[in-house]
This record gives sequence, C-alpha cells and structure tokens, in this order.
Amino acid sequence: MNKALNSSLPTDREVVLGILNNSDETLNKLYLGYFPMILQFILNNNGDEDDAKDVFQESVIVLYNKIKSGDFELSSKLKTYIYSVCRRIWLKRLAQNHKKTTNISDYEDVLVVDDDLEKHDEQDQRLMKMNEALEGLGEPCKTIIQDFYLNNLSMQDISEKFGYTNTDNAKTQKYKCLQRLKKIFFNS
Amino acid sequence: MRRDLELDAIIEDYLSGKLSPAERDAFEQLRNNDPEVDSKVVAHKFFMETMNDYATQRSLKDKMDHIHATIDVDALSAKLGPHPSKIVNFWRRNRLGIAVAASFVILCSMVVENYFRQSKQVGSYEQLDRKIEKVKRSQDNLIRTVNSAAVADPKKSLKPGSFGGTGFAISANGYVLTNYHVISGADSLYLQNNNGESFRATPVFTDSQNDIAILKIADKNFSSFAALPYTLKKGKTGIGEVVYTLGFPKDDAVLGEGYVSSVTGFNSDSIQYQVAVQVNPGNSGGPLLDNAGNIVGMISGKDNRPDGAAFAVKSKYIMEAINSIPSDSLNKKISVSKRNLLSGLKRTQQVEKLQDYVFMVKVYKD
Repeated sequence: MNKALNSSLPTDREVVLGILNNSDETLNKLYLGYFPMILQFILNNNGDEDDAKDVFQESVIVLYNKIKSGDFELSSKLKTYIYSVCRRIWLKRLAQNHKKTTNISDYEDVLVVDDDLEKHDEQDQRLMKMNEALEGLGEPCKTIIQDFYLNNLSMQDISEKFGYTNTDNAKTQKYKCLQRLKKIFFNS
Repeated sequence: MRRDLELDAIIEDYLSGKLSPAERDAFEQLRNNDPEVDSKVVAHKFFMETMNDYATQRSLKDKMDHIHATIDVDALSAKLGPHPSKIVNFWRRNRLGIAVAASFVILCSMVVENYFRQSKQVGSYEQLDRKIEKVKRSQDNLIRTVNSAAVADPKKSLKPGSFGGTGFAISANGYVLTNYHVISGADSLYLQNNNGESFRATPVFTDSQNDIAILKIADKNFSSFAALPYTLKKGKTGIGEVVYTLGFPKDDAVLGEGYVSSVTGFNSDSIQYQVAVQVNPGNSGGPLLDNAGNIVGMISGKDNRPDGAAFAVKSKYIMEAINSIPSDSLNKKISVSKRNLLSGLKRTQQVEKLQDYVFMVKVYKD
C-alpha cells in the first residue's frame, strides 16, 4: 500500500454511516480505498485481477450485510475486517481449487470472521438459487420480473414496455410469471 | 389456476400491507383456518425476502462493477503484484517467516549470551604483566614493560628489562613470590627494590596452574632481609575485607586499595578472589594485604573490560605452593614469618615498612 492510497481511505465511521444511508459516494470511497490492498494480497497469493475483484466485492457484500443487520461494532479497524474476510474467502477458494494454501503471505492482522462468512454463504446459496430460477424462467417472464422487482419499474411502465392493453393484463402476466418462478425456486 | 393467481395477488398485497383492514381480517381468518394458505403465505414471504436480497445484492454489484471500471487495474497490479525480482518477491512472500526466523535467531543469541553471562564473566582475563611489544600503554595488562634505562644501576650496566611485574619477599633468606606469567620464558630475572638496587634472581619453583612462581635472590650483593613484617593468612578472607596492594605499574611503587568483592575469581575460579582494587599493568605478583598486615593473596590479573574487576591468587594456594617445594631442591629453607609487624599501624606506616620487601621484577627475554 502506498501512502497516497492509504491517505484516501475514508474513516471507518464514515463508511458505517454511509452504508446505513445507502450512500453511493461512500461505496465509491470504500472501493477505491481498499481494493488495492486486496489486489496486492490476491496477486501475491496465486490469484489474478479477476479473483481480486470477485473476492473484494464479496467482502464488501459481507460488510454491507453485517452493517445493515446492525451487529457491526467498530471493535476492530475496518481495514482489518475487510482484509480478514477476503483472506478467508480466498483461502476457501484456493482449497476448492486444490491449490496449495500453505504459505499465505499476510499483509495485515487477521480477525476470525467465520461466523459472518457462514451467514454470508447461507445467503449466497439462496441468492444463487434465485439467480438460477430467474435464468430458467425464460422470456418475457424474466424481464418482467426483473423490471418489477429488481429495477423497480411500475406496472404502468411495464405494460407500456411490453405493449399490454391495460395494466391488469400486465399484472396477471406478472403473477403468472411469479408463480412459475416460485415453482422453479422451491423445486430446485 | 385462476384461484391460485388471485391468491398470490392477495398474499402479495397482504404482505406489503396494501389490504384494507376489513380485507386483512378476512384474509387472516382464512389463513388461520386453511394451513395450505398459511404455508403459501410463509413461502411467499421467504421468497420475496430472497428476491429483495437478490435485488439489493445485484444493485450493489452493479454499482461496484461501475466503480471497478474506473480503476486502472493493470497499473495497480504492476505496482502491487509479485515483483519480477526473485529476491524482492521472496521477501514479500515470506516477510512474516523471515521476521519470525530473525526474531528466533535474536532470541537464541540472547539466551545463549545470557547463559554465558550467568556462567561466565564477560570479558576475558588479562594477566597483569607489562609487555611493550604486546600492549604498549594498554591499561589492561599488568606486566609493565621496563624500557627506562634510568632505573638500572649504571655500575651493573644492565640492559633495560623488557617485562615488568611485581614480587614480594616471603622469607627473610631471599625467597620472593611473583606470578608465573611474569617470569615465564625469561632469560634472566632481576629484582629491583625501592632504592633502585637490582638483584639477580633465579626461579626455584613455578606453578603455572595457580600462576605462582618462587624466585631466589642469587646475587653476591645480597645477604638477607630483615625480619618480614607480614605473615601469610592461613584462613579464608570474606567479601568486604578491606585490602590493599603495593606494586610497580610504573617505576615507583603504587598503592592500590579496595576490598574483596567476591570469594571466587575469573569465571568463578576458586583459586582466586575478585577484588575491587585499582590495578594496572605491572601490578602482577604484588602482595594483597588486609588491614592487619596479613598477606591474603597475590594480584594476578584483571578482567579486560573497562572497569573490569581484578583478581588475586588466594594465600592458601601460595602456602600450598611453598609447602610443595621439595626440600632438597632448596639450599635454604623457606621460613614464612610468623610475626606481624604491620598490625595496628596506619596505612602510611604499613606501606613504609612494606616497601622494602616489594620488588619490581624485571624480566629479560631475547
């Protein structure tokens, strides 16, 4: 970590408050401030830039969930927390790929973050399932569901976009799609 | 099918709080009565939560991807990635290991050093003779090199001695005690008293182990000493006993005073005492006396660190040395004085009496 990067780090408090308020600016600072540390760690431990991106983004998600759930205490430095989470994720991935996991070179102190990651893994599995269900849904259902639930479009917008004569028809179509999606989700 | 869709719509409205109070009550009653409806509500709730999480995470990921695109990852990687140099790389990868190894080495050396510190006095032992070739003006070595011609009696036309130490009479008939290291390798030995008179001497007994040598004055100008004013102490001397020595670190006698600081010598050598007495090259072989005028030992060396302690051979071993000389190798018996004339005198008077019996030992080697 060079000094310029270090000095651009947002304060830990700023990050926690920013995440609670869904501040995009905080996310930007957080990302730019801490990504280099993780990039360095991954590159020097048998990984590449894409690995670094994946691992770091996952750690940010873990951090978001933890802060949003309200049980994040600033007992340790945020930097240490992010590093520890990334380290744990990376070790797991190395183990999954049967790469050697001894000799991890550490750049920071390490916290035990197993609990947080267990929660994260559990959630991740649910979301993976949701993703698979959406992928298996087929058009136009997939887009309708995504537009309504993910992109927060109104039924009015959706019915115009898909050329339905009225919103009730669109609504009916959406419920049909949702029903299929639930079926796939719960039966997979 | 149609009914299911309607149910889904109602459940969704129910969960998002869009039902009117009357509708809600009706629905809750339905839910309580029909387990199938209830399980559908629970499943839908779980499903929608997952959907929400999914939506949140996706939006977060999209934002992060957007931010990620603004970073010049290649430039960063070049800076932070493994260094092309193997050594730098090795250092980066094994920084922790190297640090641990280094700490271990430091710790070990500290432990080892500590061990030696405990078992052994730091510094090394310096014999207190004076050698010009070796030590010039070093303060650590106590044989003094006698290179001053002024001290020699011109009539005897003696060459300057090349080594110097101190010796003291142990019997009135001309036996003188000094350190073995002072006289070892000597071609000829001369003893010079405080008046500047020199007498030739020959070694009659040497004990390198205890660093003791006994010389006999073999000079036609010498007849005998007056009765010795001091006696050899037979018992042990304890820590704190005030002691003093007279020696020749220079061409005139020098008094050094202090106390016994340990009942063992260098590296806990039980043959010696450790004494806190200022000694210098040339003091080797000097008598160490207590206040009562007993010889408690003979100065033999010092620790070569600055302010290092001095050491003296214990009187017990001097006595042993005297007694171990085979009587047939002596033409006169060594009779150690039994009368002490120094006891109760002031230090100045003691030194006055003492100095006739303390000699500069001049050693000639070629």
